Amino acid sequence: METKYKFLVGSLLLVAAVGYLMYSGVQQTGMYYLTIDEFLAKREALVDEGVRIAGRVKVGSVDKRMTPNGEEFDFEIGDFVSEAEMGETIPVYYLGVTPDMFKSEGGSDVIIEGKYREGKLVAQTVMTSCPSKYEAEEEGAAAYGAAGATDG
Amino acid sequence: MDDVGSLALLFAWVLAIYGIGTALYGAYSRRRDFVASAENATLAVWGMVLVSTAALLHGLITSDFSLKYVAHYTSTTLPLQYKVAALWGGQAGSLLFWLVILTSMAAVVVLQNRERNRELMPYVNATLLVVCIFFLSMVNFITPPFERLAFIPPEGRDLNPLLQNYWMTIHPPSLYMGFVGCTIPFAFAIAALATGRLDDVWIRTTRRWTLLAWFFLSLGNLFGAEWAYLVLGWGGYWAWDPVENAAFMPWLTCTAFLHSVMIQEKKNMLKVWNMVLVITTFLLTIFGTFLTRSGVISSVHSFTQSGLGPFFMSFLVFAGIASFGLMFWRLRLLRSDNELDSLLSRETAFLLNNLILVGICFAVFWGTVFPVVSEWVRGVKITVGPPFFNKVNAPLGMILLFLTGLGPVIAWRRASWSNLQRNVLRPMGFGLAIGVFLFIGGMRHYYALVSFSLCGFVVASVMMEFFRGVRARQAMMGEAPHIALARLIGKNRRRYGGYIIHIGVVMMFLAFTGTSAFKQERQITVNPGDSFEIGNYTLRYDGVESHDTPHIAYLKANVAVLQGGELLETLQPEKRFYKKPEQPTTEVAIRSTLGADLYLVLGSYDEPTKMATIIAYINPLVGFLFWGGAVLVLGTFVTIWPQRAAATAPAAIYSPGRNTVPAE
Repeated sequence: METKYKFLVGSLLLVAAVGYLMYSGVQQTGMYYLTIDEFLAKREALVDEGVRIAGRVKVGSVDKRMTPNGEEFDFEIGDFVSEAEMGETIPVYYLGVTPDMFKSEGGSDVIIEGKYREGKLVAQTVMTSCPSKYEAEEEGAAAYGAAGATDG
Repeated sequence: MDDVGSLALLFAWVLAIYGIGTALYGAYSRRRDFVASAENATLAVWGMVLVSTAALLHGLITSDFSLKYVAHYTSTTLPLQYKVAALWGGQAGSLLFWLVILTSMAAVVVLQNRERNRELMPYVNATLLVVCIFFLSMVNFITPPFERLAFIPPEGRDLNPLLQNYWMTIHPPSLYMGFVGCTIPFAFAIAALATGRLDDVWIRTTRRWTLLAWFFLSLGNLFGAEWAYLVLGWGGYWAWDPVENAAFMPWLTCTAFLHSVMIQEKKNMLKVWNMVLVITTFLLTIFGTFLTRSGVISSVHSFTQSGLGPFFMSFLVFAGIASFGLMFWRLRLLRSDNELDSLLSRETAFLLNNLILVGICFAVFWGTVFPVVSEWVRGVKITVGPPFFNKVNAPLGMILLFLTGLGPVIAWRRASWSNLQRNVLRPMGFGLAIGVFLFIGGMRHYYALVSFSLCGFVVASVMMEFFRGVRARQAMMGEAPHIALARLIGKNRRRYGGYIIHIGVVMMFLAFTGTSAFKQERQITVNPGDSFEIGNYTLRYDGVESHDTPHIAYLKANVAVLQGGELLETLQPEKRFYKKPEQPTTEVAIRSTLGADLYLVLGSYDEPTKMATIIAYINPLVGFLFWGGAVLVLGTFVTIWPQRAAATAPAAIYSPGRNTVPAE
């Protein structure tokens, strides 16, 4: 009987350790995942916080420069609507290599991870979704096989 | 031809319903003819699904663009192997492919058990058919693979270029085999609960199935990692993307299950725990499919919605309530016959291993669903990325590695001091020595030191087991060492096969450690003729070349790899432009050595200035991921190979110092 209790105590300690690791992990590495509107509403409170924002690159807004450090980009992202309906946008700065699906004329759907500083979203990563024209309307992930068929 | 396919699916649906009804009625009324008829229905469902799959394959290979599926996922210029792979490249096809595997496995189960497990079989059969019905309903009523287009397009939209890759053609099938394979032990577990026959018959019957499912899950994950490494071009192989996690979670619980069943077989303990594990594993396979299909969690690869989410969720809830409900109903029969004898025992090591594996699984689950949970609870979506998963899982992985070394050498029931001294201290000393050696050599990375030491510990403890077994055989039978080794493994396949798998896992840990602790990365924009350095290589960019085919246009950068002024080879990282979906892709170039990979990506190319951005990575020890996988395959073959009936000599002979335990 005693062994059983000792084991239980040990297991509980282990569970507590896992719980603590998870809690502190979220505290230290969690990032707000926001829509364009959510971000715009409280952007001043989010200065220097890690954020992740999904949006569409505004057509014609991409300014790309080749520098010795790599490619430098300035562009704007807005809601997932057509060019004409797009409201307020967020200016983004990015130094690095863009994914293959990032179009320099704009219009790509992207997820940006970075920090908001001096009126600009300084991107650490730029990710793109699958090209929308490629996908069947009703089956988003379809291009990627079923369960767990993709990695990334 | 396509009408044949959809008609066959409809027949299959009707037959499956008939099968469920007759199986359950047959079991209830003890009518053998009904039970047999239900099993024949399963075989007929299998036949129908085969016909339907053949019809879709025919459409894909002959480029019958009147079928929406064929027009969406193939083109006339697509190479044949990718036309076949398009079967699992899209949603409707992948569900059909799932069904082919599920019904084929169900048919094998039915044929294997014509004379065996007669009491369990009606429920096994009914459970399998219920799962079939779910997928059959999807392909019949929700996303029919044989939907026709109103007009026939002259050309198809083609398969996503990212999927036009060797690893991508074998990754989904192996993952599906793993996912679907988990259904078989689940079905037997449900049957055991339903009949109340809760001894370990269901576990022994499904041992090979579980191992097979685990094997394919492992391969599926590894192939996926290999594909990500070669195709996605970000220098790594694992990003903790929700879609990856979806495949990883059932692997974790399945691994836990493989270990904990040994305790049930030997000690009649952990019956409830094993039930929980086998049910959870099955639910996680469905949950994984739900994750990838529903768009509930945004993954880099699938942010859009699909209509299948609610169906998967409903099935998940139904399966969860039904199976756990059944388990609680039988809780009294699942009581253990034994208790732990001592904390210092192999049982404890196994239990801890289970707790850690399930703990990792829970952490991965939590990290994956956290955006959804935080939105419900706090109204804000918070995502966690790779740093979270690495931070949580690295210490847990270290404990797991330690237990991998401890498990084989610590005694069952109660480890004595002499057992510990003789069997545990020596390999531990070896591991420590490796750590000290590396430290003196200048390594100061804390995690890496711990990890490499533990790897040494595991290898030493496994080697010691082999060595001791061989020596005992030599002494008792007078055999030559190589014969003794072969016979030792041959007569205890499960145990020594398991050890070989452990060695494979250690090799993978080497790769995890090397790439996470010592990876180097350099991004640079260069003019033709410019050189730069990474690791101990000098790289010189020598401009680009291009060529064109009807399917793809290529742009290749020539990068000379030099070491000490001597040219080793010219690597060609590429940009490709696929013409049907008009999509550019990146092809990496790799120089592999056992110590490290040099991994080059052509980031961008500017035609007017001829400048190129090149990203170079040094990935230390990454090759061990692949070789570890190969060792894992070998170990699984050793384990799964049928044991000869005569091989029942007691294992105790070969493992002095251990308490009396039958051969594994």
